[in-house]
Amino acid sequence: MANAFMVSGLTKTYKDFVLDHVSFTVPSGSIVGLIGENGAGKSTTINAALGLIQKEDGVVSILDKEELDGDIKEQIGVVFDGSNYPEILSPRKLNRVMKNIYRTWDERVYFGLLKQFSLPCDKQIKQFSKGMKMKLAISAAFSHHSRLLILDEATSGLDPVVRDDILDMLLDFVQDEEHSILVSSHITSDLEKIADYIVFIHEGKVVFEKTKDELTERYGIIKCGAAQFDALDKSDIISYRKMDYEWQILVSDRERMQKKYPKALVVPATIDEIMLLYVKGEK
Amino acid sequence: MKGVLVKDLYIARSNILVTIVSLVVLGFGLSFLLETSALLVLAPVAATTAAFISITSDAASKWNKNVITMPVSRNQIIGEKFLFYILLAALGLLTALIPCVVLACFGMDITLHSLCLYGSIGISATLLAGGISLPCAYLFDPEKSQIVFMMSFMASTGIITGLVLLINLVLSVKENILLAFGIVLIISVIWFFISYQIAVKVYQKRDIS
Repeated sequence: MANAFMVSGLTKTYKDFVLDHVSFTVPSGSIVGLIGENGAGKSTTINAALGLIQKEDGVVSILDKEELDGDIKEQIGVVFDGSNYPEILSPRKLNRVMKNIYRTWDERVYFGLLKQFSLPCDKQIKQFSKGMKMKLAISAAFSHHSRLLILDEATSGLDPVVRDDILDMLLDFVQDEEHSILVSSHITSDLEKIADYIVFIHEGKVVFEKTKDELTERYGIIKCGAAQFDALDKSDIISYRKMDYEWQILVSDRERMQKKYPKALVVPATIDEIMLLYVKGEK
Repeated sequence: MKGVLVKDLYIARSNILVTIVSLVVLGFGLSFLLETSALLVLAPVAATTAAFISITSDAASKWNKNVITMPVSRNQIIGEKFLFYILLAALGLLTALIPCVVLACFGMDITLHSLCLYGSIGISATLLAGGISLPCAYLFDPEKSQIVFMMSFMASTGIITGLVLLINLVLSVKENILLAFGIVLIISVIWFFISYQIAVKVYQKRDIS
């Protein structure tokens, strides 16, 4: 199996927003980070792919099947922002609910994860902190032998320690080559840590789909003055921003740029900076 | 579907217990004032309030968004809610029968005729109300659907009155009261089933976010 998840030409129109022919893949055994500012279309893409909202056009294939039936859903673990479980339940009661929903529910794994996360089994979810709720949701997603995890802003609003625990779990999960993860987040530092591929969505369109290594190892930012900026070959520029005291120019091959413009200061670009220059920069 | 039903039973458990205790106490208490079997009119309606507690809880926790990603189809989600509603109505009816049976054993005059009559009125009112409010719970936001829920019980009594008046045009309701309310019950069951089909169709195309 080549791709665990594939969307092609996914389209959805709202009054004030259009998800415009979004296409990308999640290769098996990899972590794909879906990035973009708030309202860019990350959640709409995930919701349309999961059948939560009706798509107008496009094809979605999950674990090699275009129809999202019960068998496929057994193999997907989905975590949204917030636990999305009835707050009156306790984790123990949730176990009883879930084992009657998933054929493959493994309560040994579930209770093991609750213990690992120090989550109380008999406390109502409404008494949990946001971090605890997220840990519970992730425990549930891991407890039915999922092959594909889809996390929509699951780490947003969590403290760095909890986020780090969760990222470690995700890295452990993809040690099995059959396992894959699609994670949408606007916290790009998390994705820099774990993602193999980055898909950048802006205003409902996919701007790029690249390996993380290509972005972090090849992309760069030229920092220069106005005169140097004027001297640049404009075909080398992806986008640029005029700051208070300098120009910042995003380039796709920083080593080549350093050779071409030896006097220019060319620095590596973080995913955050790349995203910012794409969104706020001029072309 | 079983897991979703277990979830609803957990959510509604305390409410169900309160309803059962209240109905039993009310049944014995009413026996000094009026016919205990009249409780059968109120009991199924009162018991089904737990269904709306579960719907409100689902909306508050965004459970509906979560459950669609699980191996549960949209049809099953709707089917479970309608089944849960019927189970609650049946539970209410059975609970109200407890004081009736106990008091009948102690010699109180409770006839099968009155049990059937009040039982059919209670179930009819519950099914008609549910047939209005359950699909609306998936059409409107929680605040609006709560208003619809309260209005639906008033509407159901109006519909029953209307149906009885219509039946009275064909046969005398006073002389055939059990038959008349039997017809109302059958219409209510059909309405509830049609309502389920409507809710399934509405929910199939509904965006959940």
